[in-house]
Amino acid sequence: MIARLEIALKPDLFDAEGASLRRKVKDYFGWHVGGARVVKILTFDARLNRYELEAVRNEIFTNPVSQVSSFRPLAEAFDWAVWVGLRPGVRDTAGSVALEAVSDFLQRPMADDEAAYTSKLYLLSDTALDRTQVETVARELLANDIIQHWRVFSRSDWDLEAGVGMIVPKVMPAHEPRVAEIPIPSDEALRALSEERNLALNPRDIPVIRGYFLRESVLQERRRVGLSLPTDVELETISQARSDHCNHNTFRGKFHYRDLDTEETEVIDNLFKTCIQSPTLQIKEKKDWVVSVLWDNAGVARLDDDHLYVITGETHNSPSNMEAYGGALTGIVGVYRDPMGTGKGSRLIAGLYGYCVGPRDYAGPLRPHLHPRRLLDGVVEGVRDGGNKHGVPTVMGNLLYHPSYLGKCLVFVAAIGLMPRFVKGEPAEQKRPNPGDLIIMSGGRVGKDGIHGVTASSESYSESTPAGHVQIGDPYTQKKMHDFLLEARDEGLITFITDNGGGGLSSSVGESAHFAGGARVELDRVPLKYEGLDVWEIWVSESQERMTLAVRPEHLDRFMELSRLHEVESTVIGRYEATGKLHLLYREKTCAYLDLSFFAEDFPQWEFEAQWRGPKTRGLSEPVFSEPEDPAGILHRLLASPNLCSREWIQRQYDHEVQGTSVVKFLVGRNRDVPNDAVVLRPVLGSSRGLAVTQTLHPLYGIIDTYAMVAATIDESVRRLLAVGGRLDEIGGVDNFCWPNIQYDPETNPDGRYKAAQLVRANRALRDLCLAYEIPLLSGKDSMYVDGYLRGRFGERHKVSGLPTFQFTATTTVEDIRRCLTLEAKHPGDLVYLLGVTRDELGGSEYYDLFSYVGLNVPKVDPSAARDLYWTLEEAVRRELPASCRAVGKGGLAIHAAMVAFAGNLGLALDLAAVPADCSHRNDTLLFSESAGRFLVTVPPERRMDFEAIFRGLPFACVGKVMEDPRLTVRGVEGAVLFEEPISRLRASWQGLRQG
Amino acid sequence: MGKVKALVLTGFGLNCDWETAHALERVGAHAERVHLNSLVTGGKTLAVYQVFVVGGGFSWADEHGAGVILAMRLKHRLGDAIREFIAKGGLILGICNGFQVLVNLGVLPAFDGVSFTREVALIHNDCGNFRDQWVHLAVNAESPCVFTRGLERLELPVRHGEGKFYAGTKVMEKLEANGQVVLRYAGADGAPAQGSFPENPNGSLNDIAGICDPSGRIFGLMPHPEAYHHWTHHPDWTLQKERLRRQNVRFSEEGIGLEIFRNAVHYASESHGA
Repeated sequence: MIARLEIALKPDLFDAEGASLRRKVKDYFGWHVGGARVVKILTFDARLNRYELEAVRNEIFTNPVSQVSSFRPLAEAFDWAVWVGLRPGVRDTAGSVALEAVSDFLQRPMADDEAAYTSKLYLLSDTALDRTQVETVARELLANDIIQHWRVFSRSDWDLEAGVGMIVPKVMPAHEPRVAEIPIPSDEALRALSEERNLALNPRDIPVIRGYFLRESVLQERRRVGLSLPTDVELETISQARSDHCNHNTFRGKFHYRDLDTEETEVIDNLFKTCIQSPTLQIKEKKDWVVSVLWDNAGVARLDDDHLYVITGETHNSPSNMEAYGGALTGIVGVYRDPMGTGKGSRLIAGLYGYCVGPRDYAGPLRPHLHPRRLLDGVVEGVRDGGNKHGVPTVMGNLLYHPSYLGKCLVFVAAIGLMPRFVKGEPAEQKRPNPGDLIIMSGGRVGKDGIHGVTASSESYSESTPAGHVQIGDPYTQKKMHDFLLEARDEGLITFITDNGGGGLSSSVGESAHFAGGARVELDRVPLKYEGLDVWEIWVSESQERMTLAVRPEHLDRFMELSRLHEVESTVIGRYEATGKLHLLYREKTCAYLDLSFFAEDFPQWEFEAQWRGPKTRGLSEPVFSEPEDPAGILHRLLASPNLCSREWIQRQYDHEVQGTSVVKFLVGRNRDVPNDAVVLRPVLGSSRGLAVTQTLHPLYGIIDTYAMVAATIDESVRRLLAVGGRLDEIGGVDNFCWPNIQYDPETNPDGRYKAAQLVRANRALRDLCLAYEIPLLSGKDSMYVDGYLRGRFGERHKVSGLPTFQFTATTTVEDIRRCLTLEAKHPGDLVYLLGVTRDELGGSEYYDLFSYVGLNVPKVDPSAARDLYWTLEEAVRRELPASCRAVGKGGLAIHAAMVAFAGNLGLALDLAAVPADCSHRNDTLLFSESAGRFLVTVPPERRMDFEAIFRGLPFACVGKVMEDPRLTVRGVEGAVLFEEPISRLRASWQGLRQG
Repeated sequence: MGKVKALVLTGFGLNCDWETAHALERVGAHAERVHLNSLVTGGKTLAVYQVFVVGGGFSWADEHGAGVILAMRLKHRLGDAIREFIAKGGLILGICNGFQVLVNLGVLPAFDGVSFTREVALIHNDCGNFRDQWVHLAVNAESPCVFTRGLERLELPVRHGEGKFYAGTKVMEKLEANGQVVLRYAGADGAPAQGSFPENPNGSLNDIAGICDPSGRIFGLMPHPEAYHHWTHHPDWTLQKERLRRQNVRFSEEGIGLEIFRNAVHYASESHGA
């Protein structure tokens, strides 16, 4: 029977969720809602009798101290009620947990057709909103059409007996699963089919694919297993394997680069090989701490003699753009499976985030699917729940606002894992399935989630079709699996493990089959969330929280025993075998039979024309304006600007201390709110060794030159790690590229050649800087097509391309965590040093941006000069000479000096005349230039001699002093006081724009 | 006698088990991380331990109320074992999610012994969000709690979305009268926060951050003592280090959170030895 249980807080209790809703209605729309309360609804579609229902209501779902509940509608006094529930097939963790609890309580298993669904009823009172306004609140704040439906009730149309009614979002199976054989008489036919089925096959691949299926030897072998024409399962497999997502066709493409200024031309065959793989392999030769790179789900490096750390970075842009919360949640939970599926598996120890979104207060004519404000709130909450509920500290992150991300937001997620160096005597980073090993799928079940995720369109969804392309990650299921798999690993039961992400089983089994020499999978064994999936859907579904493993037959019983103990579902779905084939069956009938060698066939390389014009030729120049009379006013404005102001409201929602490993937190200082350069963890409790991590991104520099952008980004990452006490010679990097489409098309992408050249230059800088600083790329990811098509005021659509964006995540070890540093000034009387040279490099700076200038003189990096300074700083920190250290980055000296001061609740007196500079001595240049290679360091007077002695001959100077008097005082180059600002005022500006 | 044996519960979304076990080991206990189902299916027996810790985390994803479903499972599958464990003088510590479990299980506040009924609740923070922040805590010297002996004030992080302590008036009065309120959120000076945010981070009635049963052997708290087992956990440690260096003072590498575990292990070893 169907029963609807309603649960609410007792009427006299403060409803925090309701209060948040009222705040958001005010914040988003400026509307007043005097009262808001939330009723939780649990709809059972299960064989529960009256007594059982009453028992679970009382025993499980109602807290007698704080809640009331009823199987009849609870809502009485309200002006408007908004009901929001999930669409069929959308992951409802609370619903499945409810069913699990009922089953546990009644001590009986629930049948496959029994279910529980959760939804919410929001009751608004004391408000003058009309129906249209309430519908706006429902649509633009409470619900997202893609995954949810909603209904609005006024008090007058509310039925006291029926309430919201009985709504059961059950997935209705459309038809019997089947396998289709598909004739492809011509290339044209295959092209049409690709279009029709969203296979996204590259036109250049089509003759190769057809050629394979027409080959006589192939035909003969296929006949033997009862196949002739290609099946839908096979074509989908090929589509996944050849997709840009899985194959990195862009980075492996051939670039015809031409510098239109110099007429220099170059053909770059494969950016990945030349700029990522080759430098990393060169560096790996020299660095024995680099353990495993360039092939597995994540890179592996040595932490200490007994432990390895594992790192990777991902993006989850398109799904987050459509459904911010679900997309970001799925993103972080998804990236966590990469370290879990690296080597024999690692334990997660940290997560990081980066968000690039449109302006929070955007009020222009374009209509993004989600307003940036709502989008950002959603992704912040998605990463929060994903990280917190996984028990993994979310340690730090970035946020950047720029109008170009209105088209598509960027959501970066990175994950770090830890593993022992050896598991049962075998190197932990190695894994290999052997012929004869069983193929096991562990974790969640398979549904229609994420099938053709990226290409699915939102228009085609009706009330009873699953919302296929947007998924809601389930950290609870994954955390159980995580704990289980680590135990299985430690018992030596896992010979191979990988995650099911993009492409689902087709990728995880398809790729691992290459190691073993073949695989045979029985797709009817794969456990499903609901019936009605076609066979190809089972194979490519991207349903989350699943891993694919290879387990030796003799280990199966123990593996399954552990799996049951942890209440994780594991199923044998096939076997690796050295046949050279990927052999798929459904109900004992072959539905795919592909030679593994086919995937390595001569698919034509993608080709791109890349045309570069230097910034000058593009018409960029330095702006002409005089030195401002009120530099303090500018400092306040910059501190309050969206891209420099406090982001405490984000980090505070993230559990960044779970696992007890935090040494340097992201937010530091006396008020614990100023972002530090990097965080430091102590992954192995009891050890004094640390792991420092940081992330940097500077897309604004890329408007001038993406080479400079990448160079400055990497340089800043290096400095950030040194600033906390990290080692220069153990820095590893993770490169994340997010780029708009670079394939030139005269109509749809007229500047494609320039964007391609930007990508080439970015990669050159990546190569050059990694070689100069000897940074191996432990992992990386490219996400192309950061373009959106937004509706304008008159019904037209505009293509909005995101700025070419490069985020760098960097790690290094810390010899002794007790020597770690934070940025804030510690003690009055300490001397303030500026290390490195300040140049006239305001191009792409926050200062210019304040006046809407871009400029020309972008910060440049001289790695060979920088390295000497960096080695020396590392030595100074080893000798514990500085009391604080800050890498000077975005905003320049003024911003970072202000932060050093107000983080320490102390004043600073600075003298700009002392700044080591290589430029015209304009005060604003010295204050706001973003030149790379610089640090702001405080040193106690008694350590002054030692400190200055080791820096002798390098560009550095004492530029001021830490003051008891809590003011930032700056003397200009002429010697007069330029400004004097209380740090409390500076802090207030910095905190002002947005509070929690 | 041998080391005090402590059980740290794991499974179903619980976390904090590694550092909790580490903290217990640091103060001399033998700590074991044990999956709930190992206790239920008989592989492990609660009776052989002297300290039982239900730590932080998100058991069953906190769905349907933090700690509710784990409490139900403990009650139905291990109710007798828990009753017996308490009767024999064992110590139970519930941290964060564990505290939520203990109140839903009804072993706290347990005015008249373990009844397995809910008398107090931990509900959504007034601020509407999950919060990770450090708090000052004042210890009630009148409380019988064995875990906080010798402590007056401490600083620990809270990390929760549902930590607002709530109960009806009568229950509140009884808790206060019995001295069962162990920890209160406070200002830096140690005076109770009196509801002010963020000193009281969740809106808890009477600033309550932790309570114990009348015997003082069952203790639940929202802040995380296991998250301050080392001095480098404290947000100001780099400042403290500089200050102490300049005064030529050596500093302890322990965090004060360890004292809670040390008290438990002392008590357990003494009562075991007696």
